[in-house]
Amino acid sequence: MSLKRMVLILCGFYCVMGIMPLFVGDTDYIMNILVMILIWAVVASCWDVIMGFAGIFSFGQVAFYVMGAYASAILSVSLDIPPVFAIMMAGVITGMLGVLVGLPCLKLAGPYIALVTFAVHMTLIPFLKGPLGRAIGSGGSQGILTIPPINLLGFAFSSEQLVPFFYLTLFLTIICTLILAFIIKSYWGTAFLALKDSENFATSLGISAFRYKLMVFAITSSITGLFGALYAHYVGMLSTKMLSMDVFTILMIMIVIGGIGKYPGVVVGAVITVTINQLLAPVGMYRPLIMGAMVVVLVLFLRDGVIGLAQKFSPLQRKLG
Amino acid sequence: MVFEIIDVIISGLINGSVYALMAVGLTLVYGVTKAFNFAYGSFYNMGGYFAWMLLIPVGLIGGYFSVFFVAIPVFFVVGYLLEKILISPLRKHDDWEMKVMMLTLGLSLFMDFGYQAVFGPRIKSLPGMIEGTLELGQVVLFHQDIVIFILSVGGMICFGWLLNNTRTGMAVQAVAQNPAGAKIVGIPKDFIFAATFAISTIMVGLGGILLSQKTFIDPMGSTNIMIKAWVITAFGGMGSISGSLYAAFILGMLEAFVGWHFGMIYVQIATLTLLLVTLTIRPRGLMGRE
Repeated sequence: MSLKRMVLILCGFYCVMGIMPLFVGDTDYIMNILVMILIWAVVASCWDVIMGFAGIFSFGQVAFYVMGAYASAILSVSLDIPPVFAIMMAGVITGMLGVLVGLPCLKLAGPYIALVTFAVHMTLIPFLKGPLGRAIGSGGSQGILTIPPINLLGFAFSSEQLVPFFYLTLFLTIICTLILAFIIKSYWGTAFLALKDSENFATSLGISAFRYKLMVFAITSSITGLFGALYAHYVGMLSTKMLSMDVFTILMIMIVIGGIGKYPGVVVGAVITVTINQLLAPVGMYRPLIMGAMVVVLVLFLRDGVIGLAQKFSPLQRKLG
Repeated sequence: MVFEIIDVIISGLINGSVYALMAVGLTLVYGVTKAFNFAYGSFYNMGGYFAWMLLIPVGLIGGYFSVFFVAIPVFFVVGYLLEKILISPLRKHDDWEMKVMMLTLGLSLFMDFGYQAVFGPRIKSLPGMIEGTLELGQVVLFHQDIVIFILSVGGMICFGWLLNNTRTGMAVQAVAQNPAGAKIVGIPKDFIFAATFAISTIMVGLGGILLSQKTFIDPMGSTNIMIKAWVITAFGGMGSISGSLYAAFILGMLEAFVGWHFGMIYVQIATLTLLLVTLTIRPRGLMGRE
């Protein structure tokens, strides 16, 4: 997919999102869904970049999201740092943690990386609940309950007034989405693809696997952490429930619906998945059951996601290859 | 103090033996089919719930003996069908490894919440296989622990014998070494893949039946078991059976000592630190092949 078409699709999507509050701005329920769609769309895009383009089986995306959320919450609650700076620092901190996780992954083969990153996810739960986490201010199993809202030039972006917060999120989302789109289409993105297809050949052409793999870890985890931090200041409370498997599965459904490595697809996946997830809320404990079954069915039958479907059924696309 | 340490060692040995049974199943399925199974912990719980269902509501005659007798064929069929229906269709495409991981992760969530929906969210306990204790001086051994140890070690020896001495076992090894070559000499590769998956299901299911008597059946505990089995496999070297044997006992001991000395909350952190350190120093695990 060319950069032009990619930006076109994304522009269309964000324009539609941008005018939505004019119609549904009064309904908090729908506004909340829209904000969550924006946040998840970026998190899922980051996962698509690391997994679909760089071919690194990272299963730590939710972990980075939670790390960012907790980092920003702890900074603003324990150290009284203004949320705007706390969010930026959270982005930097998760970026560094991403490099730290990426370092042992450099030498590892595919499934081992999945295991290590998933292990990071699993260690976070006892870490944040236990005395170690409580020492840095994670609040143990109760979590952090009083996270201040973002305050910019005397104006508070809280979950009380959803429309201003929505536009703040939209602004950040568009910036990060454009960064990701340009990364994918730049020399870096080509290097990621080359490393994915054949690491030996790419290295022989002078592409440093070390540098580009760490780079992709740093970029994706830092953007993910940034949006985790944004989420933390949006909802105002955090607990280790965010690390439960169904959050992970929701993210996975997004990327499967969107198609792995079909970049703007995950954005569509995020819209569909967040909506379905909200619609399934009344069924209570059967929701994760249905989500799990959805993953199995979608992985089996929807090979390339919605982008794959669109390409299959549009004759123009087929001719262009 | 000395006797406390002996108790800890015994508990480490027993946990290690069951972990070994589970990890050997996992390393086998990875070594042969290259499929990374994230639903392994849910199969473990399947064993626990299966035994509970047969023993408590159904009240099967013959106790655990009949449970094992029924469980082995049932687990084989379940594993075989799951591989045929869910995993083998993915194998046609080149990004199937990633797809298998995602699919099994979804399957695991589905199974876990399925157990919750069917059996309720509360933990269940299995009755012990055998009552009584054996006293050697000041050291007290439960008969149950001895039986668990003997059964899991016996299971592994039996499995090793099958792998090295039967035609099917040798076919499994051939597929692991060279899938294309195995196909040329007429080994039914797809059947071997499915059968290996089924055998690993049996092993982890039996592990579930054995270890659930000592702990509880927790519908949400499957991720921990999965991580444990995977850590052992990666620590020992994926695809290396002897490596995962050593790793299982090392990890069982580590868990027992960390749990005894520092408290249970550190067990998982210690396990995963061990994994990270090992993989940083030796990316292929203890005994992994290049």
